[in-house]
Amino acid sequence: MRTLINILVKELLQLRRDPKILPILFIAPVVQLTILGYAATTDVRRVELAICDLDRSAASRTLADAFTGSSYFRQVVAVDSSDDLDFWLDSSRARIALVVPAGFAADRAAGRPTTVQLIADGSDAMVGTLGLSYAQGTLQRVAEAGGFRLPIELRPQVRYNPDLVSRYFMVPAVLAMIIMIMTMMLSSMALVRESENGTMEQLLVTPLSPGAIITGKLVPYALVGTVEILTALPVVLFWFGVPLRGSLLTLAALTAPFMLCTLSIGLLVSTLARTQQQAMMITTFVFMMPQIYLSGFIFPIQNMPRIFQMITYVVPLRYYVQALRGVFLKGVGLEVLWPQGLAMLGLGAVILTLARLRFRSQVG
Amino acid sequence: MSAQAAPAATAPVVTARELSRTFGAFVAVDRVSFEVAPGEIFGFLGSNGAGKTTTIRILCGLLAPTSGSATVAGFDVTSDAARIKTRIGYMSQKFSLYTDLTVDENLRFWGGTYRLWGSEAERRRDWAIEVAGLAARRRTLVRELPGGYRQRLALGCALLHRPPIVFLDEPTGGVDPEARRRFWDLIDDLSVQGTTVFVTTHSMDEAERCHRVALMHAGRLLALDSVRALKRIFPQGTLLEATCPRPAGALEVLERTPGVIEAALFGDRLHAVCERAGMAPVLARALDDAGNGPAAVRAVPPSLEDVFIRTIRDAEAGGRS
Amino acid sequence: MIRRILAMTVKELLQLRRDWRTAGTLLGMPIVLLLIYGYALSFDVRDIRLAVVDLSHSRASRDTVQSFLSSGYFRHVATIDDTEALDPLFDSGAAQAALVIPAAFADDIAGGRTTELKFVLDGSDSQTASTILGYARQIVASLTPGLYKVEVEPPIGAAPLVWYNPDLKSSIFLVPGLVAFILMVTTVIATTLAVVREKERGTMESLRATPLAAIELLIGKTLPYLLVASLSATGSLTLAWLLFDVPVRGSIGWLAVLTVIYLAGGLGWGVFLSTLAESQQVAFQIALLSSMLPTLLLSGFVFPISSMVQPLQVISHIVPARYFIAALREVVLKGVGPEVWWNDALALVAYGAVVLLLATIRTVRSL
Repeated sequence: MRTLINILVKELLQLRRDPKILPILFIAPVVQLTILGYAATTDVRRVELAICDLDRSAASRTLADAFTGSSYFRQVVAVDSSDDLDFWLDSSRARIALVVPAGFAADRAAGRPTTVQLIADGSDAMVGTLGLSYAQGTLQRVAEAGGFRLPIELRPQVRYNPDLVSRYFMVPAVLAMIIMIMTMMLSSMALVRESENGTMEQLLVTPLSPGAIITGKLVPYALVGTVEILTALPVVLFWFGVPLRGSLLTLAALTAPFMLCTLSIGLLVSTLARTQQQAMMITTFVFMMPQIYLSGFIFPIQNMPRIFQMITYVVPLRYYVQALRGVFLKGVGLEVLWPQGLAMLGLGAVILTLARLRFRSQVG
Repeated sequence: MSAQAAPAATAPVVTARELSRTFGAFVAVDRVSFEVAPGEIFGFLGSNGAGKTTTIRILCGLLAPTSGSATVAGFDVTSDAARIKTRIGYMSQKFSLYTDLTVDENLRFWGGTYRLWGSEAERRRDWAIEVAGLAARRRTLVRELPGGYRQRLALGCALLHRPPIVFLDEPTGGVDPEARRRFWDLIDDLSVQGTTVFVTTHSMDEAERCHRVALMHAGRLLALDSVRALKRIFPQGTLLEATCPRPAGALEVLERTPGVIEAALFGDRLHAVCERAGMAPVLARALDDAGNGPAAVRAVPPSLEDVFIRTIRDAEAGGRS
Repeated sequence: MIRRILAMTVKELLQLRRDWRTAGTLLGMPIVLLLIYGYALSFDVRDIRLAVVDLSHSRASRDTVQSFLSSGYFRHVATIDDTEALDPLFDSGAAQAALVIPAAFADDIAGGRTTELKFVLDGSDSQTASTILGYARQIVASLTPGLYKVEVEPPIGAAPLVWYNPDLKSSIFLVPGLVAFILMVTTVIATTLAVVREKERGTMESLRATPLAAIELLIGKTLPYLLVASLSATGSLTLAWLLFDVPVRGSIGWLAVLTVIYLAGGLGWGVFLSTLAESQQVAFQIALLSSMLPTLLLSGFVFPISSMVQPLQVISHIVPARYFIAALREVVLKGVGPEVWWNDALALVAYGAVVLLLATIRTVRSL
């Protein structure tokens, strides 16, 4: 125990002496979180709309107003001929077009069903899909305002995030990503730096066991990660207003095994790389990018081909993102999230063992 | 033998038997055997890549031998490395203190790795500070210390736990001569107090200060004895030193002269090893005749460097035949 | 001047051939990344985990459930009798959506009365939830004729038409963005590292001692990388076309021109960064941060720029990938010519000119 404290004190002293560490610890996470939190939004709002009103009647204007009056659309142009739409859609200046046919008002007045045309730009499939769905919703609302009801009405009830704010979904994931990047990067440098400076050799002739050296490296960076979270959490909660419906305790209980994973990955990289630069490269391309893409953070796992879905089971970030969303939005506790916690604990244990074995074979 | 010789025969603290280590096809250490007595200053002399560092790393338990065996402080290096580690001090070739920690913080940390706590740790830290002459700079960051101080601090760190054996791998690289002299005074003190010092170097001056010197070349141990005994491979008067005003081509002239076994360049002088004593006039004439003169040739006592070059050439000749 | 640049270019190419790390990063990395992520990334929601609460237990309710399942979007995970039992299913994520069919469902239909279906959704992934809701609406609208045996036409019907990507496959819009992302990250990192490595080794000093002018040095240094990067761009785009069915509707010539301008900008940025960084490690860090994050977040590759807060929309104007992705989608998917994307091309040219100018100024100053 005293041996461990001795290493801890030394690591913390070294961290304190590093002039880059304070900004990295306290400023970087807040800045990253703020920018990423704002940028990473899949909310499709204010879809650029072109209107081609061939009817030019009061009824068609009412319909157009229903579109422009909703926050989902932003009218960029009104054209007189549907041929003119080509340019607006081709140049992506408009993402969706509403064409009101001539005779629209007459049909409406006569109570005949009528049809308007919606043209979506499929080249941005996300905006296209949602734009189309918003447009259909708008049409339905107009019809309902006129007293029409479909015989079967679909009454949606959205749980956890009734307004479908993507920020609530993204910001906790961004937090997870930042913690991952920070702890992985720092710990991937840990052993390589000692090797590069020649102090590793000196450590190894002392009676310190490889296990003690590894543990001594793990704990201080876990502290760093904790500080990181404590700095970033207020931004998540108060700046972005993400509700924390679960308990902080659950959050802590699930963060610990996640950090075990990221720190162990870092240490494993540290035993694989010969220079700090290599360590950084391996971390970025082999561990960081795949984790970001395969965690379900941006791209839902269920949309992936089966084989990639299998791979995601060994991605710790996958479980942590699920856990964070569970704690923040669903307000559930360990009684629901224990499989995620257990999976991370298992992965962390395996990776740490690999790192220790690799370290031991390296020094032997 | 004189004071230069090894202390009386007691159980050796380091033994190596047929120790070998290969890295792939490369043989770094080739069947090396030796023993080191307690309190001895044991020098390992050789050029870069001779296998000195590899041998030390095996003895410190950092590297497993490919074959052969070695014991340090009575423990086997392969099976008992953990116990060896508490009984040795090690100072590696590469400077290895934390430069971003202060003098005191380094001492505290390294002492802690040897489980030195409390008042004992404090006493040893004071001792190391005194040895390194850093009393006024306990709170200075190590990166701000000059090389000589760092070296002595590193030695102090390696000695905090009073190890009976200390391994120093080229401890004085990049240190100015004055600091180097003071460093070696320290090594002498340690030896007097009974600590065994195992030191590698490629500096001949430093090797002269060792009780016994092992000459290593290409992984093999070529010779091992006291410096004085090693020098006896040159019979009295057979080593001649020549100086001449026009040295161009002089080396070849000497090598061609009958009765000269070999010649080597030592800065602006030439050394020639002859088959018998009394060859000085012959060599002087040969140089004069070749137009290098007027040459001055005299018999000189062999330096360790002569011994080193001669031993390597003999070994290589032996290897070829 | 041309000959000296040529000499420099040849030397760089020779070195590049031996330096497998840089060459590999430039050539292999984009293709490997495209292969992996091209398959993995998709917004096309499938396999939606659907729980069913059928309180009606009727033929009509069974038909309704069947319509959901046969749509191909939904996967049935549970049938329960009690809406209370939905909580654990949603909390654990076992169900993403639930269809609740009320007890009166069949009677309402039989009596020709309007009825309603409750559709419960996990909104935590808002993007997926919106998509699922869209699917559910379509399915329910299509149910009416079969159940009521009448055609019910809404007063204002919509005739949706999707241009360029009729099936709204997300790969068709993600892959061009992915190509832009990967090319930017690999070229910036590879060039930065290559130049800084030269600096670390001290060979930059000896080059400076030769009569090469700074501008020649710069051109000679970037030209070979431009060649290699263009090669890997060709490979990536071919792969996008072959494997991910990204159609190339526009002119390949224009595509090449745009790509080269984009790559030149990336290389210029790499060279500029390398004049700032003294060590490979620092170079790698700033190269990564300045290429990966903006290209991922602020280019419209994944996250629509028009939905961002105003300051970020402004910042996105200095991200070259924004223009390249826009132009790429227009050339590749829409098949339109420069009359439409000239402003994007102009922005790319301006970006390239500015960073190359900066790189030249920095190089000259350091001479």
